[in-house]
Amino acid sequence: MKDLMDGNTAAAWGARLSKVKSVPCFPITPATEIIEVIASWEAKKEFTGEFYQVESEHSAASAALGSAMAGARTFTATSSQGLMLMHELLPMISGCRIPMVLVNVSRSLSAPISLWCDHNDIMAMRDSGWITFICERNQEVLDSIILGYKIGENKKILLPVLVNMDGFTHSFTRTEVDIPDQKLIDKFIPHQELEIGLDVKKPMTLGIPAMGLDYMRYRAQVNTAMLDSFAVIEEAHKEWEKLTGRKYDIIDEYNLEDAEAAIVMIGANTSIAKAAVKKMREDGKKVGVLRIRLFRPFPEERIRKALEKIDSIAVIDQNISPGIGGILYPEIKMAMYGTQKRINNYIQGLGGNFLSEQDFIDILNDVMKSKKDEKKWQM
Amino acid sequence: MTDAFNIKEEMKKEHLLTGGTFACSGCNPILGTRLVLIALGKNTILVNTAGCMTLTATWPFTPYKVPWVHGAIENGGALATGIYRGLKAIGKDKDTHVVVYAGDGATYDIGLQSLSGMIYRQEKVIYVCYNNCQLANTGHQKSAATPQYARTTTTPPPIGNQLPRKHMAKMMAMNSAPYCATACTSFPLDFIMKLRKAAKINGPSFIDLLAPCEPGWIVEPSQLINAGKLMVESGMWPLYEIENKKITINHKPKMIPVREALKIQGRFKHLTEEQTSEIQETVIKEWEMITKGRFWESEEY
Repeated sequence: MKDLMDGNTAAAWGARLSKVKSVPCFPITPATEIIEVIASWEAKKEFTGEFYQVESEHSAASAALGSAMAGARTFTATSSQGLMLMHELLPMISGCRIPMVLVNVSRSLSAPISLWCDHNDIMAMRDSGWITFICERNQEVLDSIILGYKIGENKKILLPVLVNMDGFTHSFTRTEVDIPDQKLIDKFIPHQELEIGLDVKKPMTLGIPAMGLDYMRYRAQVNTAMLDSFAVIEEAHKEWEKLTGRKYDIIDEYNLEDAEAAIVMIGANTSIAKAAVKKMREDGKKVGVLRIRLFRPFPEERIRKALEKIDSIAVIDQNISPGIGGILYPEIKMAMYGTQKRINNYIQGLGGNFLSEQDFIDILNDVMKSKKDEKKWQM
Repeated sequence: MTDAFNIKEEMKKEHLLTGGTFACSGCNPILGTRLVLIALGKNTILVNTAGCMTLTATWPFTPYKVPWVHGAIENGGALATGIYRGLKAIGKDKDTHVVVYAGDGATYDIGLQSLSGMIYRQEKVIYVCYNNCQLANTGHQKSAATPQYARTTTTPPPIGNQLPRKHMAKMMAMNSAPYCATACTSFPLDFIMKLRKAAKINGPSFIDLLAPCEPGWIVEPSQLINAGKLMVESGMWPLYEIENKKITINHKPKMIPVREALKIQGRFKHLTEEQTSEIQETVIKEWEMITKGRFWESEEY
């Protein structure tokens, strides 16, 4: 069934189709509508799981950990300051190896307060041990939630999954979204009991203190599971394509085959960059875009392979780590280490500042004539 | 007891908390855990918040034969909420007791918001605060449960702790918990009775369990049970329960002078005569308020 819907509604549909059983939540702009939509379904008895508004995002993440540990498929959503408040729980959830899906609607961090999008919230949790998808389209948000349960609940993985969309650009913008048939989803992600969890018939101690080398072994296992998830993600993407015809990859390569310059970025603005590239291609310029869809685990090798024949690379960071620059930039430099590439960093779009096609055209022209690697602010 | 529960029979059953934990000698909070498991049995999920009891299980050892989970320090109420809701969502909540066993720092201070939310939503969770009157696990700093004038490492003598403690059971009753109580590890049957009662409530319950602490109270391990008894018999820790805002006194204290209770606790060693008298006056005033139907009047505290 196709419908026009915004990203928040698409996220709520993702949770509904996944037949989540527990939704602890706390409202925050611009993610509130996700829980409002689920609340409206609950009122109409179309959603029969446990839906409960708690007293903070910290408590929402805590309750999410609890209910997932108890064996209920769990979903919650937040944004910006809310994700920051959840932060303490994030490595705890991955450390306990408890799968769930959390949707974050990216919004800049205070102060000053801005309701508009940038990616500092999501970048701040990159080291938390969550498989992280950063979406470009509303359809991708819906699909990634379902894929998230498929991947996270895989017994070889057992990790939580974060699905990110951009505040306003996704959350409040309607686009065409296909709602897959429930029967397909039931087959794709049937409910399965976790092997770890809280069950009085099978007592287990969870979140146990572990000191020294024991601690290190636990964290090493999280890292191993993260790396193992590449194969599981690829498999899930293939199966999804067979079911729905929609093709996903961990990176999204746009006109890179013969490109001489490319933009590397994440999120909704990639669509504008692609339009810019299309325009430049009409003028005969060989340019392309690489969007990173899977941010953690970081697809280092795939990125290197995708960019290996490209001379000039412009890394767009819609975030800032004051004192170093963009956060994606050093990761791309690491992936390209040892190659003779021009790699520039462009900080832009903080606090939702609008980007036009022309901005991306300027960036591509700029990186092609750079004599050395540069870090720039576009504002 | 209204139900068929025989303490002697229960004591013969398998211990759900084994020996060999890292608890201090004479630790009363671990005794409290034992009592919880005797009262509620194997269908119990224990939710721990960061504190002394967290270190009772340390990889690769666990003394718990029931499911046990440690979350953070400030989220006992929320974590338990999630566990209860999760069990409910998959139809496993019947006959399973979700019990938070949290220290007073995690309850009175940092976890108050989470506890208050849990009670406000009427989650079916038993919340037990093992109250050793301090943040003991980090080395005995003051909490909002520390008695006035007591020594802690952040309220050292000669000044001691300047602030009177919060009254949590009362506060949680006003927070709409249908069942609230105070208890003390020195009165185990009273505590067990209260847990059994809490388990029958279709909603949240809160039990504030005074649990003397050897290094924090500076009391010989052999004297800890006695120290708890003296706290109760002096009226410093009255044992009562509040059912839908109706208060019942469970043990009539002998009202021995507080001096007797204070003198065996090293944490009060520095007290002046005036401070001791002030504590005595407060205790008498509080006891009068409880017994004369003025429990809910707050201005005199």
